[in-house]
Amino acid sequence: MKKPWIKGLMTCTLAALVLAGCGNGGSEDSSAGGSSGGQKKLVVSTWGFAEDFYSKEVYAPFEKEHNVKIVLETGNNADRLSKILQGSSDVDVVYLSDYYAQQGIEAGAFEKIDRSRLSNLDALYDIAKAPNGEDYGPAYTIGQLGIAYDQKAAGTTVSSWADLWKPELKGKVTMPSITSTSGPMMVDAASKVAGSTEFNEDKAFAKLAELNPSVVKYYSQTSEFINMFTQGEAAAGPIMQMYLGDLKKADPNVEFVTPSEGAYAIINTLNVVKGSKNKELAEDFINWQLSQEVQEKAAKAKVDSPANRNVSLSAEEAAAVTYGSSVVEKLQKLDMAFVNKNLKSWTDRFNREVTK
Amino acid sequence: MKKRYLYLLLAPGLLFLALFMIVPLILTVGSTLFKDGSFTFGIYWQFFKDSYFLDILGTTLLVSVATTLLCILIGFPVAYYLSMMPPRKKGILLALAIFPLLTSSVVRSFSWMIILGKNGLVNNILIKLGIIHDPLSILYTPTAMIIGLVHLFLPLILITLVGVLESIDHDLVRAAQSLGASKLTAFRKIVIPLSIPGLIVGSILVFVGSLTAYTTPALLGGKKRVVATFLYQNAITLNDWQAASAIATIMMIITFIVIGLMNKAAAKFNPKG
Repeated sequence: MKKPWIKGLMTCTLAALVLAGCGNGGSEDSSAGGSSGGQKKLVVSTWGFAEDFYSKEVYAPFEKEHNVKIVLETGNNADRLSKILQGSSDVDVVYLSDYYAQQGIEAGAFEKIDRSRLSNLDALYDIAKAPNGEDYGPAYTIGQLGIAYDQKAAGTTVSSWADLWKPELKGKVTMPSITSTSGPMMVDAASKVAGSTEFNEDKAFAKLAELNPSVVKYYSQTSEFINMFTQGEAAAGPIMQMYLGDLKKADPNVEFVTPSEGAYAIINTLNVVKGSKNKELAEDFINWQLSQEVQEKAAKAKVDSPANRNVSLSAEEAAAVTYGSSVVEKLQKLDMAFVNKNLKSWTDRFNREVTK
Repeated sequence: MKKRYLYLLLAPGLLFLALFMIVPLILTVGSTLFKDGSFTFGIYWQFFKDSYFLDILGTTLLVSVATTLLCILIGFPVAYYLSMMPPRKKGILLALAIFPLLTSSVVRSFSWMIILGKNGLVNNILIKLGIIHDPLSILYTPTAMIIGLVHLFLPLILITLVGVLESIDHDLVRAAQSLGASKLTAFRKIVIPLSIPGLIVGSILVFVGSLTAYTTPALLGGKKRVVATFLYQNAITLNDWQAASAIATIMMIITFIVIGLMNKAAAKFNPKG
C-alpha cells in the first residue's frame, strides 16, 4: 500500500536531480576538479567565441603551469552577469565588457584586485589599465568602434559619424540598438554631430531621431549586422574593427573607416568574482591573459586586439586589428558609471523619441 | 490497491506543476503588485497610459491576428485534403507538413532572410521577370514577421484540423447532398460547423504562439517591435525584472481573454459542439 508513495517520492527526487543538472548546464564538466586528487579548479566565465584558440593558447598552458583544471561557463555578457549576481555560480574569473563589468562592480559582485600581483600591467596602454577604476580588473583587449560601409551600395563616401546622416544613405543605415555595447557610444556621437562640445542628452536624442528614417534596423548582434550587408539591406553602420574580416567575406566591397570625430574604444575586462576561493590563482590567470605572449598570439589569430603595448605585428598581421599607440591612444572612452546611471532613461527616450 | 489511494498517482505530477509552474507564476504576478512594500496596480496603469507600450501591443496583436487568420486560410483546405487521403499517404504528407517544427527557429529565420532580403530570392525573381524595378522592402517589416510566424505555426493548425476533419462522418455530407443540398451548402452547413472545435484549438495555439514568439520577430522584424522583444530588453539588458514581470502578466491576461472570447464565439457557432 505504501508503494505509490515510494514511487512518487522517487519520481520527484529523480525530477529534482534532473532539474538540478539542467541548472548547471552552463558549466561544462563541473565535477571534474573536486575528485581528482586535490587538483584545483578555476571556473572561468567567458563568451565562448574562438574557443579553439583559447583552449589551446590560453587555458592549456595555464593549466599545465599551475596544475589546475579550468572549467568554462559560456554565454553572453548579460546572461553570465545575471547568473553571478543571483549567486548561483562558482565563477572565479569573469570576462565582461566594461559596461557589464561596471554593473557588476556597482552590485558589489567583484573582489578588489591586487595590482601588485599583475606584473604585466605596466605594459598595457593607459586606457586599458583601470577602465572601471583602480580597484577593479584591467582590460585585456581594446577594440575600435568605427564605421563599415560599402561605397558602391551607399552611393556616397563616409568619413565621419556625421556622414551617416547624409541623405544618400536613407534606408541604408544600420545602427546598434541602445542596449548593445555600442548603443550608448552612438548617443555620445550624435551629441557631437549635433554640434555640442559637452555631452548634451537632448540634442543627442533629437539628432538620433533625425537619423531614424535612414535606419533599416537597430541591430543587437554582430551576426545581424553582417547579414544585413550580405542581403543588401544595409550599406553603412557602426561596428567593431575586429569584424571587418567576417564582413569582407559577406561583402568584399566593405571598408572600415575611423570617423574624423574619433572612434570609440570597445573594452573587454577581466575581474575576480566576490567570494572566489582561488583569488590569487585568478589574478595569475588575468596576468597571463595580459602577457605579451598571449596578446600577440590572439592578435595574430585575429581573435582579440591587443591591450599590451609591446605586441608587435606586421602590416598584414595588423589588418582588421586595432593596433598601435597612434590608433589606441586616440580612442574615446565613455564613462561607464555615467552610462550605467543613465541607460534606463536613455533606453526609454530611445524607444519613445527615436524609434517611434 | 484500494481505489481511494489511486489519486496518489497524481502526486508526482501535481507536485511538479506546483513547484515549477504555480509557485513561479504566483511569484511573477505577485512581484508586480507591490511597490515600496504597499499593494498597488500602479505599474499596470503606467503601461496602459503609455502610448509607446500600447503601440507595441497593437503591433503584436495585429501580427498575431494576421498570422492566425492566414494559418486558418491556408491550413483549412490543406487539412481537408489530407483528411481525405488514404492513411499511408496521409502519414507521409502530414510528416512533411510538420517538418518546419523540427528545425530551430533561428535557422528558419535565417532562411527567410535569404529569401526575403533585397538581394534575396523573391526580389531577384521579381526583378528578372520585369515585374518590379527596385527591390521591395519585405525583410525587417511586420510582413516578414507574419511570413515567418505562419511558416512556424501552420503545422499546429494542420495537426489539430486533420484530427477533427477525419472524425467527421462523410455519410452526413452524402445525406445532405441526397436531400438536395449543393456541395458547397453541404460543406458550409456540415463540415465547417463540425470542424469548429479543431479550428478553435488550432487558432488558440497559433495565436498564443505568435503573441509570445521571440526569435522570429527579433530576427525578421525591423524597427517595429513586439511585446516579447520589449520584455527581453527590460529583463535581460536593463535588469528591470518588475517591468518584465508586469509585461508577462499582461500577456498572460490577454491570452486568457482571447481564449475566453474564442470559446464564446465557438459556442455561438456550434451550440452543440
